Amino acid sequence: MTRRWTLFAACLLLLAAVSSEVSANGLVNEDVKRTVDLGTHLAKITAEIVLSNQGHSSVHSFVLAVEADLAPHLAYIGASVKGDEEEDGTLELEQTTIQGQSGEFYKVHLPSSLAAGAQLKAKVEMTFSHVLKPFPTHITQAERQLVVFQGNHYLYSPYPTRSQTTRVRLASKTVESYTKLGNPSKTDEIIEYGPFRDVAPFSEDTMKIHYENNTPFLTISSITRTIEVSHWGNIAVEETIDLRHTGAILKGPFSRYDYQRQSDSGISSVKSFKTILPASAQDVYYRDEIGNISTSHLQVLDDSVEVEVRPRFPLFGGWKTHYIIGYNLPSYEYLYTLGDQYALKMRLVDHVYDDQVIDSLTVKIILPEGARNINVETPYKITRMPNQLHYTYLDTFGRPVLVATKNNLVEQHIQDVVVHYNFNKILMLQEPLLVVGAFYILFFTVIIYVRLDFAITKDPAAEVRMKVASITEQVLTLVNKRLGLYRHMDEVVNRYKQSRDTGALNSGRKTLEADHRALTNEISSLQARLKAEGSDLADKVGEVQKLDVQVKDLVCRSCQEAERLVAGKVKKEAYIESEKTLTSKRQEFVSRIDSLLDAL
Amino acid sequence: MAEHHPVSDNKHKSSLNSGASYSGNGRSSTAVAERGSSAGAGGGGLSGGLSQPAGWQSLLSFTILFLAWLAGFSSRLFAVIRFESIIHEFDPWFNYRSTHHLTTNGFYEFLNWFDERAWYPLGRIVGGTVYPGLMVTAGLIHYVLNLLHITVHIRDVCVFLAPVFSGLTSISTFLLTRELWNQGAGLLAACFIAIVPGYISRSVAGSFDNEGIAIFALQFTYYLWVKSVKTGSVFWAIGCCLSYFYMVSAWGGYVFIINLIPLHVFVLLLMQRFSKRVYIAYSTFYIIGLVLSMQIPFVGFQPIRTSEHMAAAGVFVLLQVYAFLQYLKDRLTRQEFQTLFFLGVSLAAGVVFLSVIYLTYTAGLWFCIKNINDERVFVALYAISAVYFAGVMVRLMLTLTPVVCMLSAVAFSSVFEHYLGDDMKRQSPPTEDSSDEDDRKNAGNLYDKAGKVRKHVSEQEKAEEGLGPNIKSIVTMLMLMLLMMFAVHCTWVTSNAYSSPSVVLASYNHDGSRNILDDFREAYYWLRQNTDEHARVMSWWDYGYQIAGMANRTTLVDNNTWNNSHIALVGKAMSSNETAAYEIMRSLDVDYVLIIFGGVIGYSGDDINKFLWMVRIAEGEHPRDIRESDYFTPQGEFRVDKAGSPTLLNCLMYKMSYYRFGEMQLDFRTPPGFDRTRNAEIGNKDIKLKHLEEAFTSEHWLVRIYKVKKLENRDRVEHKQQGTDTTKQKYTSKKTAKRKRGYIKNKLSLKKGKKLAKKSL
Repeated sequence: MTRRWTLFAACLLLLAAVSSEVSANGLVNEDVKRTVDLGTHLAKITAEIVLSNQGHSSVHSFVLAVEADLAPHLAYIGASVKGDEEEDGTLELEQTTIQGQSGEFYKVHLPSSLAAGAQLKAKVEMTFSHVLKPFPTHITQAERQLVVFQGNHYLYSPYPTRSQTTRVRLASKTVESYTKLGNPSKTDEIIEYGPFRDVAPFSEDTMKIHYENNTPFLTISSITRTIEVSHWGNIAVEETIDLRHTGAILKGPFSRYDYQRQSDSGISSVKSFKTILPASAQDVYYRDEIGNISTSHLQVLDDSVEVEVRPRFPLFGGWKTHYIIGYNLPSYEYLYTLGDQYALKMRLVDHVYDDQVIDSLTVKIILPEGARNINVETPYKITRMPNQLHYTYLDTFGRPVLVATKNNLVEQHIQDVVVHYNFNKILMLQEPLLVVGAFYILFFTVIIYVRLDFAITKDPAAEVRMKVASITEQVLTLVNKRLGLYRHMDEVVNRYKQSRDTGALNSGRKTLEADHRALTNEISSLQARLKAEGSDLADKVGEVQKLDVQVKDLVCRSCQEAERLVAGKVKKEAYIESEKTLTSKRQEFVSRIDSLLDAL
Repeated sequence: MAEHHPVSDNKHKSSLNSGASYSGNGRSSTAVAERGSSAGAGGGGLSGGLSQPAGWQSLLSFTILFLAWLAGFSSRLFAVIRFESIIHEFDPWFNYRSTHHLTTNGFYEFLNWFDERAWYPLGRIVGGTVYPGLMVTAGLIHYVLNLLHITVHIRDVCVFLAPVFSGLTSISTFLLTRELWNQGAGLLAACFIAIVPGYISRSVAGSFDNEGIAIFALQFTYYLWVKSVKTGSVFWAIGCCLSYFYMVSAWGGYVFIINLIPLHVFVLLLMQRFSKRVYIAYSTFYIIGLVLSMQIPFVGFQPIRTSEHMAAAGVFVLLQVYAFLQYLKDRLTRQEFQTLFFLGVSLAAGVVFLSVIYLTYTAGLWFCIKNINDERVFVALYAISAVYFAGVMVRLMLTLTPVVCMLSAVAFSSVFEHYLGDDMKRQSPPTEDSSDEDDRKNAGNLYDKAGKVRKHVSEQEKAEEGLGPNIKSIVTMLMLMLLMMFAVHCTWVTSNAYSSPSVVLASYNHDGSRNILDDFREAYYWLRQNTDEHARVMSWWDYGYQIAGMANRTTLVDNNTWNNSHIALVGKAMSSNETAAYEIMRSLDVDYVLIIFGGVIGYSGDDINKFLWMVRIAEGEHPRDIRESDYFTPQGEFRVDKAGSPTLLNCLMYKMSYYRFGEMQLDFRTPPGFDRTRNAEIGNKDIKLKHLEEAFTSEHWLVRIYKVKKLENRDRVEHKQQGTDTTKQKYTSKKTAKRKRGYIKNKLSLKKGKKLAKKSL
């Protein structure tokens, strides 16, 4: 019996693909359990296959097939071996073709060869995006969203299948219609097909399910993820996202009243969603072209940071929005270093919302200025674009930017990319030195400018004026100093009157004399210089000198008076009288000097 | 005279150091007024004598100016800190949009920019209808920063431009006041202008408007003008022209300069203060300034055509004649007849000039000011004309602000000069010991010592004046209190009155937490994302710039308001009934209508409250279709409730504002359809829209957008046709009648006969 079937299968295969590899190895799907998860806007098809080798030689690989209708929408395909151990081994896939058959084919390399007659449990996962078509394509705000899924009742496989079941999980109980091959059973959200026995290779039978699905049909039509690495301890991540609701398009009016008052109004619209950021994310911002989007909330959890991203307006079918989300990460968590060698290990694409679909992804990784020997290890195939240069603060020759793009990504693509590069640590000093140099040049220029005279014409008059001014300045200080001496002398005299210490008085007088002489000499030398400059101020200084002589005279006299008072030669009343006249005279002279000085 | 000396001493100690010694070589404060005119000495004081006092002084003034800049900058940041770095209000959005255009498309593209997204279907020649100074400044800063790889977004440049320029304004005010009075007053003026609310109101961060940079240009032009009058040097005059050119490129307020400067010259002539300096300065300024100002496309030939520029031309001619007369006077010594003749002519011209243009000013005013000199005449004129302009138009309060700052700084400065000396004395009794101690403390600072001596002298003089130390200290304290309260007041006003972006609203809950109402941006962004790129949005003109800036959609009218009939058309559409409005909207190719409705949250600046203006403007152009009186109740009230006029209750604006609002119950105490802004239950709750459909309403109903439906393939029948007997009256065309002949039951023969008769005809 078995042999006959095998023969039959072999014949079929021979007919189908004359010289293909498949016909040679006698693989058979013994038992297949398919699950078609249509609970979200994605179609996730998982199949647990018991594969047996009924050929004569051991097999190193087997082939997975995707239907021609669904193949363009295939976002992710993965296979793993279910061993006896807990650990599932993920297998390596390689795209291949089978002549004469439509669809896409992936060759799965087995970790160990499958001996003739042996069996193997494999689990295959496929995720398809944009295969749930809204029908009707336009709905009003009050209506619910219905979608149609078209798939295959059978496992599309190059091998004959002995027995298989297909279980379909829907988003809701409401089902408009579904194909009824083999009298399927339906309970709540689940439709079960099968079991089907002895299905020929490459057999297709359209499964069509029309059901209600109000889960958010959000699609990221494009995302640009920029990762900027700084060796000063920060990694800045910024994602620019174009978001679109790809469900049934809203027709007719959008009524805010209904939306606010009735809970099931606009049930398929998207109000908000959660984006999960790395736990160490800081300084999160969420904005667009016209500023901050104030409707978001941030929640810091132990192992992640959750952003409740709420677009400015609820997204109905066909509506789109655009936003930027960004954050900083400490580099020590993602950047590994050994000497001059660095390795950056980060997610190539990160979580935006659950069950995300990304139509087009552009990743830009900006490495520090001076990074060399860049080498990228991607977790899956991704199209590399030519490197770019990016200039930002204090850059001179630009930072290398790695650019890569990929289309049609889903959650399974959230994986790490590793970038190796070399960087000379000396280059870290470049930027501070640049700042220092700039300031140095600035200050130096100012110094030069202040010190040098850039006037194109010489103004002798102004120069003389300045010279005179500086001399008068000196004269002023000297005169003031001299007046200060008198005050000091007064003080000495006062003290003498109390202490009657003639020695102190005499020494005071001596210092006065000496200082006074020195100052007067200086002033007269300055006066001479003024005269030499041809300034008429010299005369005024002369007058000041004359007046000063008189002032000094008065000071000396008051000093003598005090001596006489102490010696008892004059009476107190007389002394006070004479002191008064002396002081008033002095006052007069001093004020005259002052007015002269002011006129200088 | 002597009483001033302690002041200069004291000023070294307090931070308000006087500028006295600046121009007088650190010698005496009183000499400044007379010596101020000899600018050579002033310049020499700084660069020539880097002796210590001057060094300290320049350091101090540098520090104070820097701090003034910083204070001015940071007190303008309330809005950024409370909200975000965002462009405010209405006009700044246009400026931002044009700056964005400039940076993305380049300068020449900008100058030739024809904006087909505004004033649909007319469009707007932007390059020729704006003062490009603001955009070019921001664009240039952005360009330079990006050249240095400082990757600042143009929005941030625009947001922070005005605060940065406020610092420049305070520096130019300092320079100007220093020229007019002294350095101390200059520093005070700089501090004042940095925080004065009148100026802050137009220059907070985000208020990206012409005035933000124009006040700087204004002050700087005046500084350079005063400088050139003082020196009579062509160099300063050319500088003044360039600054004037910048001002012309930045703001329409340049007319103020081009009238004030000639007025200054004219008054100087009247006061017999004509000199070569004035002649050189004004001739250079007028000719080069005129040529430069005509380079701005928006200004074009206005400076030689329009009346507001004629005063400058007149003064120019007058000055030439006057100078020529002077020349003749020198040459033809005794030709009195001729001289008299010319004098007569010029006097006549002057009288005409005076009576026509400056009727309001009296000549005697100038002589009220003591210590008059050329530049002080200028500031007096500045003050008076600014008061005049501010009286004419409140917005021009802005031009008054700087001069008020300068004059009050002068006042404060002189009051402090008068009174602050005593304060010092009170602190340190005038004993010889203490002053000596002070001397020792300031070892090397001989200038201080000089002050001490004089103080001793002046003390007695002051005592004779009868100004007791108590009075002086009280006055000083009062002044300081006044200054302090001024600073507090400025900060308070800034934070409360001028720091709301008005694009984002905020409300506060009972517990102090804040709710942000972001409805404007919500709706604008919806328009931007979810309407056709070339969709035309009709709204009242207030929102034109915002729609263009934030939603990036074509608008019919905007804040430029250059075409009144177009605005009136929009007003007419808003105030007509739906059918009439539909015709207008179809003729204008309107796709969406945007209105602001505050009834849900109680926002008073909404379209219903502005509605009467729409009606009035529409009535102005279409008096036969729209009459303002129709929108009032017979009692002359404007009401939206049941008592309101039926015209109002059925006009498009009313319908759009309250569409489905009648069903909405905001809280349990009020009936459904209760308008919180106008505190009334609306009168028309059952609103049906025929040609419009609600396209979007923001979360708090603040912005409502309606889509204008396309014409239907055939008109819907208004009412359902009545049951059976309609068949009898049914119209049957000739052709179908022929074909359906067999079905017609009644009057078959009669009809046949008729038809035959017709056919035979």
